[in-house]
Amino acid sequence: MISFDKINKWYGSYHALCDVSAEVAKGEVVVVCGPSGSGKSTLIRTVNRLEEIQSGKIVFDGQDIHAPRLNLNHFRAGVGFVFQSFNLFPHLSVLDNIMMAPVNVLGTKRSDARAQALALLERVGLGAKANAFPGQLSGGQQQRVAIARALAMKPPAMLFDEPTSALDPEMVGEVLQVMKSLAKDGMTMICVTHEMGFAREVADRVWFMDHGKLVETGSPDSFFTSPQSPRAQKFLSDLRSH
Amino acid sequence: MNDIISIVSENWMLLLVGQYPHGPMGGLVLTLILSVVGLALAFPVSVLLALARISPFPWIRLPATTIVYMVRGVPLIMFIFWVYFFLPLLTGRTVSGTVTMLITLVIYQAAYLSESIRAGIEGLPRGQVEASRALGMSYLGTMSRIVLPQALYNMLPAMVSQFISTIKETSLGYVISVNELTFSANQINAALLTKPFPVFMILAAIYFVLCFTLSQLARRLEARIAGKRAGRQKAHPVPMPTVAHVVTK
Repeated sequence: MISFDKINKWYGSYHALCDVSAEVAKGEVVVVCGPSGSGKSTLIRTVNRLEEIQSGKIVFDGQDIHAPRLNLNHFRAGVGFVFQSFNLFPHLSVLDNIMMAPVNVLGTKRSDARAQALALLERVGLGAKANAFPGQLSGGQQQRVAIARALAMKPPAMLFDEPTSALDPEMVGEVLQVMKSLAKDGMTMICVTHEMGFAREVADRVWFMDHGKLVETGSPDSFFTSPQSPRAQKFLSDLRSH
Repeated sequence: MNDIISIVSENWMLLLVGQYPHGPMGGLVLTLILSVVGLALAFPVSVLLALARISPFPWIRLPATTIVYMVRGVPLIMFIFWVYFFLPLLTGRTVSGTVTMLITLVIYQAAYLSESIRAGIEGLPRGQVEASRALGMSYLGTMSRIVLPQALYNMLPAMVSQFISTIKETSLGYVISVNELTFSANQINAALLTKPFPVFMILAAIYFVLCFTLSQLARRLEARIAGKRAGRQKAHPVPMPTVAHVVTK
């Protein structure tokens, strides 16, 4: 579904991603973890080309994403992306936030887009908030709307960039709940997250990154109980000591 | 005070519309026409200038930047003279003072306004553009539906203060005989000869009332939109993160 082949990215002389190669199968849930600054967010932001890479190849759903004739807007419309800071459009109601891209990018009829948006809001448990503005919602609610907004484009895969890191602790659960139900429905997902409980419970594979390198991959069980690399061992013991 | 009342009651038509209907429209009405039309024409120009100023392409960015800095670098009155003397040379025909003033105001206001719009755009969190582009929205769609509506709202106060200064700047049309409000007041002063103080008192009062009312209106408008975004229910138990709040996290 998504494959990275020897991708490299530099910010000036800083080597942000270093020969990363990996593959995500259809329906698989991958959790990317690692210390901050290790390139996790950069990695998933390369998938919808919010970050450009300098070398390597990324294939998404059979499409080489750097193909010269690629229609970038059309391609991005098919990649669900959820940001750490929600990035809802504050001047639009919740409903209009969700309908914006289907109507303007896919050309969906407003009435259809509306019905779909309402159904998605029900799915994330916010049916009653359709006419609210983002500023009226809690962080957790905003992030659930952001997930609904991404789902409205019917993406074959969803990317989550630290979706719960900007939330107060009591709101983390409601967002993870929505992500779990997505995973249960067979959505292909890459989640950058520090929620190790979520990783244990939902992930099919865990990728551990450090200094721009994909250091270790494995099932959650093997990763959490017997990490191979010393850096992963240190990362996990640091987490536990909190 | 009696002077003021009698001057107003005898000359209110001149102050309001100038020589009209026996001559061209003038007075307060012309002042308002110049300000409204000037700003209305300057607005689209300023949006284009602002977009050009933040363009990643130097061949778009540099000319726009040059124009903005040149216009902002000279006093308005000098700019009026430039347009006044050079426009007839360029077009080969005489241009009326009113049209000269209008053109000057459009260029001048567009340059200033474009800087506020640019600041409004650059003040938005980067995530807004990213979220829009990540959904597959085009550059133009992102600008017109996500960025500009927010940026323009954020700069509403700046825009009203721009409008207010435009109203005041139309008085400079006096030097090229645009018969706007200040010109009318001067006509009255010239006719009365001995009463400059009450005449210019009246003039000042009209400008003040106009501009003060506008700035109050702007404040109300601002509060209304802000209220709509933050939620009308006053007693809201949940802490509401604002855009700024989210960005700092």
